[in-house]
Amino acid sequence: MTFRTKLFVVFMLALLLSVAIVAVGVAAVTRRAFQDSNRTHSEALVAQFEREFERHKQDIAHRVQGIADAEATVRMAIDLSRPKADVSVYVNDARGVSESHQLDFLDFAGDDGSIISSNELPARFGYKIDWLAQRQDWAALGAFLRKVDTQDGPALGLMSVSVVRVGDKNLYVFGGERLGKDFLASLVLPSGMRALLYMNLDTNFQPADLVDESGPVTDGERFAEFIEQEREHPAEHVFHIAWTPDAVSGESFHLLPLLGRQGELLGALLVGSSDREVVMLERRIIWLAAGVAAMGLLLGLLLSWWGAARVTRPVRKLAEGAREVSEGNWSARVEVRGRNEIAQLAKAFNRMTEQLSEQRERLVQAERVAAWRELARRLAHELKNPLFPLETTVENLQRAKEQSPEQFEEVFRESTGILLSEIENLKKIVGRFSDFAKMPQPEIGPVNLNETVRSIVKLFESQFGAVGRPPITPELHLEDGLPAIQADEALLRRAIENLVLNAMDAMPAGGVLMLRTTHENGDVDLEVSDTGSGLTPEECDRLFTPYYTTKQHGTGLGLAIVQSVVSDHGGRISVESESGVGTSFHIHLPAKPPVRSPSAVAELASSNGE
Amino acid sequence: MLRRLVASSLAVAAVLATAGPVESARRPKYGGTLRVEIGAVVRSLDPTTGTATAEEAAARDEINSLLYEGRSQEGAYTGAIGSGPFRLAEWEPGRRAVVVANETFQEGRPFLDSVEIRMGRAAPDRLLDIELDRADVAEIPPEEVRRAAERGVRVSVSLADELVAIVFVPGRSAAEDVRSREALSRSIDRAAIVNFILQKQGEPAGGLLPQWSSGTAFLFSTASDTAEARNIWSEISGPRRIVLGYDAGDSLEQSIAERIAVDAREAGGSVTVVATKPGAGSLNADARFVRLRMASPDPREALERYIATLGPIVGVTADPAPAAMPQQIYDQERAIVSTYRIVPLVWLPRAYGLGTRVRDWKAPATGAGWPFADLWLGEVP
Repeated sequence: MTFRTKLFVVFMLALLLSVAIVAVGVAAVTRRAFQDSNRTHSEALVAQFEREFERHKQDIAHRVQGIADAEATVRMAIDLSRPKADVSVYVNDARGVSESHQLDFLDFAGDDGSIISSNELPARFGYKIDWLAQRQDWAALGAFLRKVDTQDGPALGLMSVSVVRVGDKNLYVFGGERLGKDFLASLVLPSGMRALLYMNLDTNFQPADLVDESGPVTDGERFAEFIEQEREHPAEHVFHIAWTPDAVSGESFHLLPLLGRQGELLGALLVGSSDREVVMLERRIIWLAAGVAAMGLLLGLLLSWWGAARVTRPVRKLAEGAREVSEGNWSARVEVRGRNEIAQLAKAFNRMTEQLSEQRERLVQAERVAAWRELARRLAHELKNPLFPLETTVENLQRAKEQSPEQFEEVFRESTGILLSEIENLKKIVGRFSDFAKMPQPEIGPVNLNETVRSIVKLFESQFGAVGRPPITPELHLEDGLPAIQADEALLRRAIENLVLNAMDAMPAGGVLMLRTTHENGDVDLEVSDTGSGLTPEECDRLFTPYYTTKQHGTGLGLAIVQSVVSDHGGRISVESESGVGTSFHIHLPAKPPVRSPSAVAELASSNGE
Repeated sequence: MLRRLVASSLAVAAVLATAGPVESARRPKYGGTLRVEIGAVVRSLDPTTGTATAEEAAARDEINSLLYEGRSQEGAYTGAIGSGPFRLAEWEPGRRAVVVANETFQEGRPFLDSVEIRMGRAAPDRLLDIELDRADVAEIPPEEVRRAAERGVRVSVSLADELVAIVFVPGRSAAEDVRSREALSRSIDRAAIVNFILQKQGEPAGGLLPQWSSGTAFLFSTASDTAEARNIWSEISGPRRIVLGYDAGDSLEQSIAERIAVDAREAGGSVTVVATKPGAGSLNADARFVRLRMASPDPREALERYIATLGPIVGVTADPAPAAMPQQIYDQERAIVSTYRIVPLVWLPRAYGLGTRVRDWKAPATGAGWPFADLWLGEVP
């Protein structure tokens, strides 16, 4: 992955993360705001209910008192205060009076609490309401919640008691309104909210006792757990119901217990707020965030691509410069713009390449000088050896001419033979130098290295076991299926032959010559090892330097030629040696030699020319 | 008798005519149409066909008593139709009947020329029509008698001769437990029903025959025994719920049923009241109401008719040797009531509102029909 791509990815991730954080944050804030709003609405509704409840209480107390104050009721009270009063006359009065005063429940009860007339349960006449006569200050109590028996079963009523006193006899007027769906319908509810009323009329929770403004609540069983909890411990609390797995269906309820005169739980108001709006809004926010993120990502893609390109351009230039330098273009320079770190780095790079060029130039010069010196030394050394016999022979000829003319002919023959031999020797020396100077360009073709190695070993077989020489045992470890490589077989053969010759020279007392080939990913490796006396680390360091030799009659060009061949094939050569154990040369050759740049080829040609 | 006396005294009519306006107002005279309103809907006058309700059966008997000469001891009509004091002139089933005076009636022509009977009139409408002089005779529910009297209506009340009771339907599981039936019977406050619902018209009934007839009705307790009822119900291990059916068109039955439900609940029982369609029976009820009108003031005859009617229900057959002695009548009555398959509640009188034109009205006797043959219409004061 390029630096630009990485930078781009980092930009995109940062952008994505930012959008996600903003979306989550907005959703969380919105949710909290909605929850606060719902809580406020619930509390407002509970407060409204309490106000309505109080208002209803006062209204009912007022209406019941109005009935008690009515002339007909007073007449009834007067009539009933008489001895042996006939109460049956009034058995049907409650119905008419309750209708005229719009009360659902109305009972007239005598001084002992016996029912004279009942609207909600007309057949209950004669039975006593014991608690009526047990309290005197009903007016101070006002209206209160009470479970009322009706013909259809028990009901929840908001009741009030008024007393008409005639002499020492009381007539109780006990009336009120049913608390149910009609009462709920009178509450003004905000959108998404509803009010439910639970009437605690049975020994256990019954779904039919839970109503909304239209009647019994659907799926009322779902409330059983919370209602039972309320029945055990009456207290205001909040709970949540998820009607379906979809979060939209969720609903929060604020439960307000409704207590009777004795503090008993008679019912509960449940204010429900739907999660629909907040969930839908959350989803809208998420979708909006996704849209914004998509647009942002698109925009960010373009901007970050442009930005990354702009930011990485100097770095890329630097990388290109470095690559050129690595390829040998020491004159590569990077354009410097601005004053930032990249610009400073570019300046440093340019400075470094300049210094490297200068140092290389100096090194080349020094190496050239050293090479020439070495060449001169070797030439002097090589030429000195044949020159001395030449000089001696010529002196012998002169001396023979002057001192022994009779023997001159014989001496002349012997001397000319020696002169010709030494001159031939000189020609060989010159020829070797000439050969090194004229290293040809590789002619690339498919080469089976195993076959090459086998043919070389076969060529040297006679020399390994030559008479008068300690035997050398060749060992071949050639890997099967070695792939063919693109190389110049003649040059490779020459290099390997040099290594074999080198090994034979290193084993004057005989030994083992081991040649091993391996391959990996199409590249091949060749190892040539001997069991000679080995080399010192200093000798190893200088081994491939041209004209350097450890042998008495070596030219110091053999291994230089090997390194040159290997290098021309894009390969590497290294040496390992241990004193007294032997030396191993490792050659790594690529499956295909690199294509040399024209400049490199020209440089090589020029260097060859030199 | 009066009519014969009048017919034989035509010769002295002129003398009576000169006796002044007061005397002439008291003097019976012929002519006029009596306007009668009843609540029942009679669809057929054929005594051999069935009726949907007891009310319809009673009304049909009343109309037929005008058309037939008399009734046998078994209740069958004697003579041919039209042999009675009136003959049927117009008949609109369920709505209206007009009968005209039978000129050849053996006991003499009735004073009235005709009687127009309008059927299916609601009780408030009947009372209102009497008050507005749009009717001369109208049936009044016993529970409305007091109010009608308070409103100034002439009211005629007969002896309490109609028994209102509940009978348990054989085969119903809740009806087969005698303890449950007894508990229900003991829980009922009959006095409260008479005093409040019936507004003191009628009598609490503990037995099948009223006190004025048998003289032994006081031996049957009518007071509620809530404590004992509670004890019995507490001993019953099975379901205590009793479904009591009442005629949906009968407000009196409904009121009594609701009171019974309240009484039962106070005693620890459970009675559910359900309305049933008139004549449809009580398919889902364990018990239902019956109304039995005494066929005769004679306790023996009345009991025999009761047994004939209730026998299949209460499992009692008529004694082959008709009980003649009060003790025997009482024993048989006691035997029936002790099964608790029939629970007597109250005795109801027949009550009528009378218009201002009606003269010489006599409350109908037990077992007898409407006394239209002997009354006459005077001038509106």
